[in-house]
Amino acid sequence: MATTTATFSLRSSDLIPSQVLSLTTSKRLYKAGSSSEGVDHLKMGRHKLSSGVAASDLFNADAALNQDKSNYVYISNASTTKSNYVEVTVIGEHIGRLYAGDFMWLPWNADLVTSDISVLAVNGESTIDYALFHEGETLVLVSA
Amino acid sequence: MATKATLTLTSPDLVSDNINFSVEATLTQAGNSTDIAASTGLARTNFVAGGSAPFASKVIFRSEDATADGANKIYMKNTSSTATEFFTIFIDQEEMGRLYAGDWAFFPWIASQGTKETFIVTSAGTVAAGDSWDFDGITTTSADANSNNFAAAIHAENYPNWTTTISTAAVTFTAREAGAAGVVTGTTAITGDTITDLASSDLTMNITSAVAGTRSEADIHVVPSVATTMVLEHMLFKQ
Repeated sequence: MATTTATFSLRSSDLIPSQVLSLTTSKRLYKAGSSSEGVDHLKMGRHKLSSGVAASDLFNADAALNQDKSNYVYISNASTTKSNYVEVTVIGEHIGRLYAGDFMWLPWNADLVTSDISVLAVNGESTIDYALFHEGETLVLVSA
Repeated sequence: MATKATLTLTSPDLVSDNINFSVEATLTQAGNSTDIAASTGLARTNFVAGGSAPFASKVIFRSEDATADGANKIYMKNTSSTATEFFTIFIDQEEMGRLYAGDWAFFPWIASQGTKETFIVTSAGTVAAGDSWDFDGITTTSADANSNNFAAAIHAENYPNWTTTISTAAVTFTAREAGAAGVVTGTTAITGDTITDLASSDLTMNITSAVAGTRSEADIHVVPSVATTMVLEHMLFKQ
């Protein structure tokens, strides 16, 4: 079983002047409900998103993906133009905007076949890096 | 020093080569390089033991807590050490994902907001000392026969679910939270208020303007998976 670890830290000395923020948390990526079996599948890549193009599915929660399992989504906006952002949507619900240099890490349980994660570039082209750590999926058969 | 968030992903065996990469983001406002300067602070919410499935959700962040369309970020962590225990994260009614024991999340939040119910109430007819108006569990009794003073007394109360402003004898009520609270039933009608008119029987509390609210569609809720005590750690960085 694969050993994959995601570590996150938050640091600030002045966001709350009376309380220095120095937080680190680390988690090995296990299969849902397990403390021994590591997540063992990975999709990752980079996309260039053109502005003015309709939102596209980055991760499709179709029946081939194991639902209600441990899927971890990483997306970062590699753009350096501050005003450019990527709008991230889950199940048709806008959750937020990834501005230039922002990243996100989200456990995603792909609850429904419609629980797709989609992205839309706004104000200009953005390049995103992405990864999906997951428990596996059934490949879709080639249509005859 | 700005606020910096760092993610490091490592794996020696997920693929045939080592994975080891790190990304750091400086939390700034939308579209510029100005540091994020506001947050809720790091906090924990306890979910106490008891009940049966489906377990009650809790709202962790309301959209009104942040600037809509801002560069808001949410951090969450399930502090449980029992592998099978998880929190399900919802944005509005949509299920985003599950935080299993020790899992954390960090994601941008659009905080799109609904609208608050509002109405204007103005007394008409004869106000007498001892007349009263009850709304939102608060009863205001007029001290004299002056309608402006009565309006001022209504405005001076602290309502659990509403805030007020005043203009002469007209008091404007605005719900504290966005949503279709059901109090406003028409453009000139509300429900849930009671008049006590001691003497002349012609006191009315007219609703001269009313607008129903709409719910926020980006509130963040979480639901625990079990009936044991679970603790969620969370922090909102907001513009």
